[in-house]
Amino acid sequence: MSECIEVYQVRVLGEGDWIAAVEACRLCRIELEVVMELADLGLVSPRGGAPPDWQVPAGALPRLALAGRLIQDLGVNVSGAVLAIELLERQRLLQRQLEQLERLTQD
Amino acid sequence: MEYRDYYKILGVARTATAEQIKKSYRRLARKYHPDVSKEKDAESKFKEVKEAYEVLKDPEKRAAYDQLGSEWKSGEQFRPPPDWASGFEFGGGAGTRGAGGAHAFEEQGFSEFFSQLFGGRSPFGGTGRRQSAGGRDHHARIDVELEEVFGGGTRTLELKRPEMKTDGSVELRTHTVRVSIPSGVTDGQLIRLAGQGEAVPGGGRSGDLYLEVHVRPHRLYQLDGRNVTLTLPVAPWEAALGASVTVPTLGGPVEMQVPAGAQSGQKLRLRGRGLPGQPPGDAYVQLKVVLPPADSPEARTLYESMRTQLVGFHSRSDVRR
Repeated sequence: MSECIEVYQVRVLGEGDWIAAVEACRLCRIELEVVMELADLGLVSPRGGAPPDWQVPAGALPRLALAGRLIQDLGVNVSGAVLAIELLERQRLLQRQLEQLERLTQD
Repeated sequence: MEYRDYYKILGVARTATAEQIKKSYRRLARKYHPDVSKEKDAESKFKEVKEAYEVLKDPEKRAAYDQLGSEWKSGEQFRPPPDWASGFEFGGGAGTRGAGGAHAFEEQGFSEFFSQLFGGRSPFGGTGRRQSAGGRDHHARIDVELEEVFGGGTRTLELKRPEMKTDGSVELRTHTVRVSIPSGVTDGQLIRLAGQGEAVPGGGRSGDLYLEVHVRPHRLYQLDGRNVTLTLPVAPWEAALGASVTVPTLGGPVEMQVPAGAQSGQKLRLRGRGLPGQPPGDAYVQLKVVLPPADSPEARTLYESMRTQLVGFHSRSDVRR
């Protein structure tokens, strides 16, 4: 059975948006303590006073969500998640550059 | 619904210890995790593995699952017995550090078999998970074409959600959602649809639905944030002498001047011709000099003429010792 819902208004969380760290935790399924460690390791740059009052850039949400998945699914610790994310991002960048070079050399 | 053999999925014997189950899960999770895997069908295989581990790692769920018996085969038609899960006490279980308390467990995308036996409204699902009266947020991935990202568009999504029937059983219902794709949304961004997550009977606050945007690779353009790059073939004389060329951009064709003396690989920028936004992205045109084949007497004569007349040109000057 299918139920149809019309949705016209959506909200894109993107550059320039800041959201409360506790909201980011709920959304990305991670604990505030993990966000604090991720901030210490430079993966996310929050603003605000004490951690419960922090805000994080909405652009960092995919990174936080990825960190949560890696920690939860693969059992890595926070440092391992940061290392994996940085390497994955580097891999994607190199992949893009490789594809560009391949387009240049293709007949 | 179809029975699922969780032991077979994890590749362990029914007598496996908790440590063996965990080790097998970790190995398969590393192999199929969609964030790190290049395996075909990694996402669906990872969901199977995760679902199996959700049951077998929990002594209560595993014991209840084992009571179904070992005669069942994966894919066989199955109905839960009427006294399903009776005689068990249900604990909340500890979450992991990555997972916030209310969302320690994600059953989205799991099979109907799991939803019926262990899902949110089964005897196993109801205790110790939710901290507030609100519904849980749902997450889904949405694959969009670059043209949709540029111009915006509307997509219809079919999401499967576990819902409780009047008799108290749970079934997966297809929920159709029509979503506007905002112009300029970029890869990895989240779209929030307030109130479209898990509904709460009795009027509690519904969860939200979050869609993570994934832009499909494009035949012509490569995307980097809001910038797009196009590889444009040009003739040697266009690169050498300069030329006005027509470039296809996402917003339509534009005329662009190739400067005289351009080289293969050189990038030219068309400011503001990338994805819309504040500020809009740029379009980069990477030139690719394409040589005409020397497959006619005239073409050969031209190449011979270049060889004899362009005596000061040394193509390998950079690699000479």
